[in-house]
Amino acid sequence: MVYDVNFGWSGMISEVILGATKADGGTRRISYRIGGGKTLPFLERKPGSSVPLIAFEICDNPQYWSPIVRNFCGDLVNDCGEWAQAADSVYKADMVRLYLTSTRQRDFSDIASVGKTVETVLSGTSLPLIIEGSNEPKIDSEVFLKCGEAGQGERLLLGTAEAGRYRSIAAAAMAYNHSVIAQSPIDVNLAKQLNILLKEIGVSRDRIIIDPYTGSLGYGFEYSYSAMERIRFSALKGDADLSMPLICSATDTLTVKEVREASPAIQDDIAVQWEFTTGIAAAVAGSEIICVRHPRTIPLLRKAFGSLNTEDSGKGE
Amino acid sequence: MTDVELAIKNGDQKLKAAIATIQETFSYEDTAYHLPISYALTGIPVHDRTTSLDVFSRTKDNPLVASECILAKKTAQEGREASPYTGFIADTIIRKLGYSLVDGSILGLALIVGSPRSAGTAAAICRELQEKYMLTFLAGPVVPSLSSAGVKLGLDYRLIPLGSDALHGVHFVDIIARVAMMFGGVTPGDMHRLLSYAAERAKAIVIVFPGLNNEEIALVDGMRVLGFPILTLGDYSGGAWIQATPEDIVRTGMELKGIRVNVTAIPIPMGCSPAFEGKSIRKEEMYAEFGGGRSPAFELLRMKSPGEIKDGQVTVIGPEIDSMAEGSANPLGIIIEVTGKTMKKDYEPVLERRIHNFVNYGEGSWHVAQRDLIWVRLSKEAVAKGVKIEHIGKLLASKFRMDFPQLLDAVSVTLITDKEKVIAAKKEAELIYDERDARIKGMRDGDVNTYYSCTLCQTFAPNHVCVITPERPALCGAISWLDGKIAFEMSPAGANQPIEKGSVINAQNGEFEGVNRFVKKASHGEVDRCSLYSVMEYPMTCCGCFECIALMLPEVNGIMVVNREFKGLTPSGMSFSTLAGTIGGGAQTPGFAGISKGYILSDRFLQGEGGIERLVWMPAQLKEELKPRLVKILTDQGRPDLFEKIADETKAATIEDLMVYLESVKHPALTMKPLV
Repeated sequence: MVYDVNFGWSGMISEVILGATKADGGTRRISYRIGGGKTLPFLERKPGSSVPLIAFEICDNPQYWSPIVRNFCGDLVNDCGEWAQAADSVYKADMVRLYLTSTRQRDFSDIASVGKTVETVLSGTSLPLIIEGSNEPKIDSEVFLKCGEAGQGERLLLGTAEAGRYRSIAAAAMAYNHSVIAQSPIDVNLAKQLNILLKEIGVSRDRIIIDPYTGSLGYGFEYSYSAMERIRFSALKGDADLSMPLICSATDTLTVKEVREASPAIQDDIAVQWEFTTGIAAAVAGSEIICVRHPRTIPLLRKAFGSLNTEDSGKGE
Repeated sequence: MTDVELAIKNGDQKLKAAIATIQETFSYEDTAYHLPISYALTGIPVHDRTTSLDVFSRTKDNPLVASECILAKKTAQEGREASPYTGFIADTIIRKLGYSLVDGSILGLALIVGSPRSAGTAAAICRELQEKYMLTFLAGPVVPSLSSAGVKLGLDYRLIPLGSDALHGVHFVDIIARVAMMFGGVTPGDMHRLLSYAAERAKAIVIVFPGLNNEEIALVDGMRVLGFPILTLGDYSGGAWIQATPEDIVRTGMELKGIRVNVTAIPIPMGCSPAFEGKSIRKEEMYAEFGGGRSPAFELLRMKSPGEIKDGQVTVIGPEIDSMAEGSANPLGIIIEVTGKTMKKDYEPVLERRIHNFVNYGEGSWHVAQRDLIWVRLSKEAVAKGVKIEHIGKLLASKFRMDFPQLLDAVSVTLITDKEKVIAAKKEAELIYDERDARIKGMRDGDVNTYYSCTLCQTFAPNHVCVITPERPALCGAISWLDGKIAFEMSPAGANQPIEKGSVINAQNGEFEGVNRFVKKASHGEVDRCSLYSVMEYPMTCCGCFECIALMLPEVNGIMVVNREFKGLTPSGMSFSTLAGTIGGGAQTPGFAGISKGYILSDRFLQGEGGIERLVWMPAQLKEELKPRLVKILTDQGRPDLFEKIADETKAATIEDLMVYLESVKHPALTMKPLV
């Protein structure tokens, strides 16, 4: 039986390019063109229906990171350059997402170190990067300026713009040719509004990725799923202000009670299962980038994607 | 006193002669934009005599282009000027400047040229510019003059000395040209785009002190084409330069360019964000309410002349929230007065409709409906946190200024809670509503090819699309076709968009191909067809703001209308609020339509079902309200007796009574073509 997998939809997810190779003025060994979908994921097997990207998340101050990951990764967590390298060559991620957790320290002021950290990670891996700037509005302006500057030419994905604070990150993306993650709190209308705000300030549509905010499985993921569904349906029905690719990072999965209180012998397994199950559900909802923190989640996701209707040919440029 | 016109004439000639003498090649370092002004205007990289003259003639002897070429040549010949002068500024620094402009840490750019008569005056102007988050560039003797007054210069102080004479002021323009190419998506050679970017987005002003020579005056005057106001302290006459005093020169320039120090935080003890917009306040959560049929209430926005009102002023006339009993209904008049250079009287109703959104932005304040039908609630939680009536005024004053910075210069809010005064002011407001309604009266749907949409309510009802025609106002009654047109002029990307009605699909029902196409897109694919004049087939969707509901009563082969104010049960067995709950939320419900009161008086009313003869029942109060106008219309149509045949709750409260009544008066609906 043949189904029409387009359901009469007229919209297309906008395409966003992540990472710049030498030919495009950067130093990445690969760049990805994500988006471009005209229907929901995994419905049809044909060339060009791309596999979601898997981004491995690291940070520059492990004090703010899950102890499960700290134990598993060992000394690597203290050197974000080596950690990024491991994410690339050992864990086999598609992208590396750096959280500048160092900026979360009280009265953080060493802005110059931000630029150095970004450079360290850029030299640690030649995969495209996602950089998460500060968490503190007071230092946003300086931190994002540094991130943008340090990654000039690399076509980074910068995070995370929110309705109340998006100007600095938009400015960094526009000044240094990067893209931005636009996060809204599980609400289709707020997602649309933020995209419009970014558009008005001058960020073009092919530079925006929507983060619908991803709750952990069992702890609100169903709300995220529903928001993602509405965003994606609106996009496919032709709403250009919601037609951007999605990124999901269910960062809470490693801190939910079941994982936190699991016995040490099986804690890694539980953590990986929790992260995997949330991640695969987000991919089914339409997310183009799935972010994970436990290295062992990566091969599981990859295997799962391979068993769904996908073609690896859509990836990479 | 220098005559600007005369100087420009001479200056243009001198510039033309000077550019013709260029022989050598030249270029700036650290830029990918060659000579940025010439490059942005024409797309041609200028590095020598031939290209200079080529661009100069292509730009019709533009003084900015001439000055740019001449200065580039001079810099190549004589080398860069010594510190503190920056000369041509590298791309990397421009990128950072652009960053700060987008980021909002710099509000705008200023250029100061010439030789101030008093260093103190120049220093005071610079200080004011610094305080107002402007980044100021300096060219000419103003630089040593400021230094002598002890003013510190440099990027850190937001005062940048470009060069020792006013010719270096051309760098100010090359910076803006590069910002336009880096951030504004202006492609080199797209002159039109560059000019509109400069005029609309570049927040730049120019202040001219005395002592400019003719070429420099021609250069500065040339910046007017970019939309920069040129301000002087009375040392120049003629031309389009603006005279100002040292005290108001910065303010005048910033106002002319619409640069405002933003209101970022609203000083009220409750959150204020669109995030709270969709949250309603239920009766149990409510501290006090206003209007909604329980007490007199209205809202009105009026334009005033500049100077008549004080910006940000909030006045409460009558008791404050602390002397209102918990759970009580109280009178309320919301009067907003605004001034603005580009404000028009026609914009009043469009802005007035925003009161609805803004009050809902408050975390603990809620608003529905419009005009003299408003219904406002304050939550217990908000009142416990110290929210007062006054704070609603502050919220409104701040939000209007924040959301319409280009349009409004001053906003003041008066909130009346004294019953007698509310009733008196409401009478006046009603006259204004009538005037507004009269303005559109007489226009027919067939007279225009463009209707307007309204999707303001999509925050509540995500797939709802109002189609506004001259004869069918928005279902809330607050936005007429004219208002839709004006709202689109004011904000071309806003919630009111033009709809080309396109070819006719069904004239009787008012179904148009263009309207269908628009509605399908704007409803995110949910609604395929929309009949403007039919309740039965593909009626328009309903948000929740409708003034009235029209619904079919199959038992009597007619249609009844109930308005929001009517609290009782209708012959359909349901109250207004029950019906509203059934049909709202953006759904299309055949047999039901949300309509405005004004639409009942239109010739298009119920056209799809055979016209006003279908109308069998209305609440007595609505009938009374429409009586003078409706009787006239029916008399003109040659059936003055129809008005009395329309039942109300005093004549028929139930469907059975209605049937009996309609039979007794021989209502025409009974013998019309069956509805279903």
